[in-house]
Amino acid sequence: MSGVLLDTSAIGGCNPAAAICTRGVTRDFKAGQQTITVLHGIDLDVRSGELTYLVGESGSGKTTLISIMCGILWPTLGEVKVFGTDIYSLGDTELVEFRLKNIGFIFQQYNLIPSIDAASNAAVPLIAQGVDRNEARERAVAMLERLNIGNQAAKLPNQLSGGQQQRVAIARALVHEPRLVVCDEPTAALDAASGRRVMDLLRDVAVAADRACIIVTHDNRIFDLADRILVLEDGRITHDGKHMPEGH
Amino acid sequence: MVIDWRNLSISRQILPAIAVIGLVIAALFIFSGLPDRALAEPEREPARAPADLANKARVAGSGVVEPSSELIQVGSAVSGLVTDVRVDPGDRVLAGQVLFVVDDRIARSILREADAAIVQARAAISEARSARTTAARQLALYRSVDDPAAVSRAEVIRAEGEASAANERLRLAQAQLQAAQARAASARTEIDRLVVRAPIAGEILTVNIRKGEFVSTQGGGNAQAFIEMGQTQPLHVRIDIDEEQAPRVALGKPATVSPRGAAERQVRANFVRAEPLVVPKRSLTNSAAERVDVRVLQVIYELPASDGLFRVGQQVDAYIPAGSAAK
Amino acid sequence: MIWIAIRMLTGDGQKFYGLVFGIAFSTLLITQQLTIFVNLIERGASSVYNVPTADVWVMDEVSRTTDVNYPMASTALDRVRSVPGVEWAVPHLRAGASVRSGDGDLEGVSIVGVDDATLIGLPLRMVTGSADVLSQPDSVIIDDVGVARLFEDGRSPIEERLELNDQRAVIRAVADAIPSFTSQVTLYTKYSQALRYVPGTRNRLSFVLVGASPGVTAGELATRIEAATGLRARTRDQFARDGVDFIIQNTGIPLNFGITVALGFIVGVAIVGLTFSLFIRDNIKQFGALKAIGVTNAKIGRMVAAQAGLVGLIGYGLGVVGTVLFIWSFSANPTFKGFYIPWQIPLISLVAVALILALTGWLALRNVLRTEPASVFR
Repeated sequence: MSGVLLDTSAIGGCNPAAAICTRGVTRDFKAGQQTITVLHGIDLDVRSGELTYLVGESGSGKTTLISIMCGILWPTLGEVKVFGTDIYSLGDTELVEFRLKNIGFIFQQYNLIPSIDAASNAAVPLIAQGVDRNEARERAVAMLERLNIGNQAAKLPNQLSGGQQQRVAIARALVHEPRLVVCDEPTAALDAASGRRVMDLLRDVAVAADRACIIVTHDNRIFDLADRILVLEDGRITHDGKHMPEGH
Repeated sequence: MVIDWRNLSISRQILPAIAVIGLVIAALFIFSGLPDRALAEPEREPARAPADLANKARVAGSGVVEPSSELIQVGSAVSGLVTDVRVDPGDRVLAGQVLFVVDDRIARSILREADAAIVQARAAISEARSARTTAARQLALYRSVDDPAAVSRAEVIRAEGEASAANERLRLAQAQLQAAQARAASARTEIDRLVVRAPIAGEILTVNIRKGEFVSTQGGGNAQAFIEMGQTQPLHVRIDIDEEQAPRVALGKPATVSPRGAAERQVRANFVRAEPLVVPKRSLTNSAAERVDVRVLQVIYELPASDGLFRVGQQVDAYIPAGSAAK
Repeated sequence: MIWIAIRMLTGDGQKFYGLVFGIAFSTLLITQQLTIFVNLIERGASSVYNVPTADVWVMDEVSRTTDVNYPMASTALDRVRSVPGVEWAVPHLRAGASVRSGDGDLEGVSIVGVDDATLIGLPLRMVTGSADVLSQPDSVIIDDVGVARLFEDGRSPIEERLELNDQRAVIRAVADAIPSFTSQVTLYTKYSQALRYVPGTRNRLSFVLVGASPGVTAGELATRIEAATGLRARTRDQFARDGVDFIIQNTGIPLNFGITVALGFIVGVAIVGLTFSLFIRDNIKQFGALKAIGVTNAKIGRMVAAQAGLVGLIGYGLGVVGTVLFIWSFSANPTFKGFYIPWQIPLISLVAVALILALTGWLALRNVLRTEPASVFR
């Protein structure tokens, strides 16, 4: 456990105030005869009201960790509590519904549905929850207006620029007011200026007192916007602080 | 979903609508196009079993209407030309009524000859009688003369001869008279034979001779009768019954008979007799060269009087109850 | 979610129309070929169905169909009439003959002799003239297919003279009849007349047509007649079935049409399967995202089912409409006379379409369900 330097609060039971709490999360992958351990007993608390960065090189295990934290990948060992719920003790369907209700996703490639317009794309989580279609659209348009692209609501994704598509994706992540927002490389496809604008926007709309926001990134252009940066190396958290450690 | 008319989608709205409408029309087409295979009632009434036999054991047969006397084909005893036909088809005749007359001129001339011969014979008889009287008186005169010289013996003998010859002549003439009378009688019979008469009372059914035609006693290879007649009051019907069915027939029970083409007019016909001889089935339609392997029992029934429904020679369908012995 | 699925499907026009075409093509092929097949083999029963009045057909033991018959002795009619439950029975003659038409052509015809008195055995309807013309001497009624075959130049057949077995025959009416399997010219005439037209054989009576008494079913009556007379008695439907079976047993038609129908099915599976798989593969990321966001597998399944359902509805509808148009547009052609679409056939093709979509949809869905939601982060 030589790599663990900080966050002594993470040792022992979960702090009930923590948005996400992982204890001893380990994940193995089988590659032929070999078993590769990607995560080595991660103990971590993520707090609400903060913009938390998860930073690491490719292959450091950050994608695996974020997947486990938001309930789409089972850990080999350990437990994960999201707002106090031990999500991997839920049944399959309950877990899916938990995600639908509590987590907003922003994917690197946006994954918008090309044949429905921006507002409908943004409304997908509401529609999946069973909200009436017109109401869902209205709420989605309101969210798009907060993101300053209300006038693009009726356009199809391929009629929008990359930054606009990103905003639609953000709207989709936030439209159902989830308590946890997970954001995968939000700036990777954008130039520096757009990236900063998107991050400012995210900070504006996604960060709230009762909401946790995790951003997976290795884009050093935006490290200064973080409230907290977690560095993952070879499956272990090697840094936890407001700023990146020296040498990165 | 509110339909936005300005923004109708071909693939999401128009095509499904076309598909649904098309399916409805196709369904209508398919159901209206299904073939009509319902069973229909025949337009014309076929021969049906009578109601009281509908679901009982019965035997069906077909037959032909005939006169109760059966059909009489009137022939001629002598050959000759027809000089007169006295009846028409449909005439009712009494027994002995003249039907037609054959040329009788030869017979009549023979009769006339015979009559002349009778007259001649009668004259010969009276001549012979007077000759005999004369001879007898002369002989008596000679016999009353006692003087042998006055009358020679020879004269007496001659007178006796004459008397006897006169007797002979008389007998001869009488014989000739009888012969002539016999000839005349025979000529009269002949004349009578040339007049053809009805053998029984009945109805004339066909007349196949006309004045001037030649009738022959041979009866002809064509075998067409000169006149056909029969007793049509009442009519009989001769029903053919397949020999396989024959044992089932309840002989003696009345049959239900209907004419072809008027099957709804069924009548009850009373049993007359069954023919003792089982005969090959005579088919009215097939050719004479037909080979036959079907034999039929012929049963005869008497038809009730019905104005013109049944006619001689007509085909009929008949239903007869089956006997209780049959299943 | 369903409308999103539909939008996803129709958003990709190429694949959507590819899927619709695949289903429509399969439906058309299966429905149309089955329709022609059924109609073709039902031609074996048309002679039976052309006689609208007979409940039961009685024939010699060895007779098989209306055309393959062995005549009986004429007393068979009376034997049948003797059976209780027989309301009526009439003779019926069917035989082949050769006819010389007015312009000297030789043509094989089938002669149908119907009962003289009742004309039972004639088709229900006449195209021109009426059944009463048979009361005139030497009359025959020709069927409408025969008109097309014998009078190709389109002149009216009425009052045309034919020569049959050295006898004169004059066409005086045209019957509305469904043609036989061989589309042979059929001449209807009285039984007694038919005896003259058909070269002589010992027995002539091909069939006895029987009407059942009220309260007696045709099947019951047929059994009763068989028991009582030793002849073969078939109800109308049985005898129609015999005609169909005869064609099935003696021709390669079922095999050929079966192959075509199977091809339609296989082509449908291939086109639809490939297109559907491509479509799903194109959209696998979106499906993955939906799964991550929180759409259950059951809902995903319903989405794919809705997509398959829409494709099926449109494709099936167009295919059936295509078949209807085909049958409708050829209905005036004498070869296709009386063709109809049995209602069972669209249901069969519906089942086939459902099978194709279920099979291909299941294959496509398997890919979606196997997608790990975690893959969206890679």
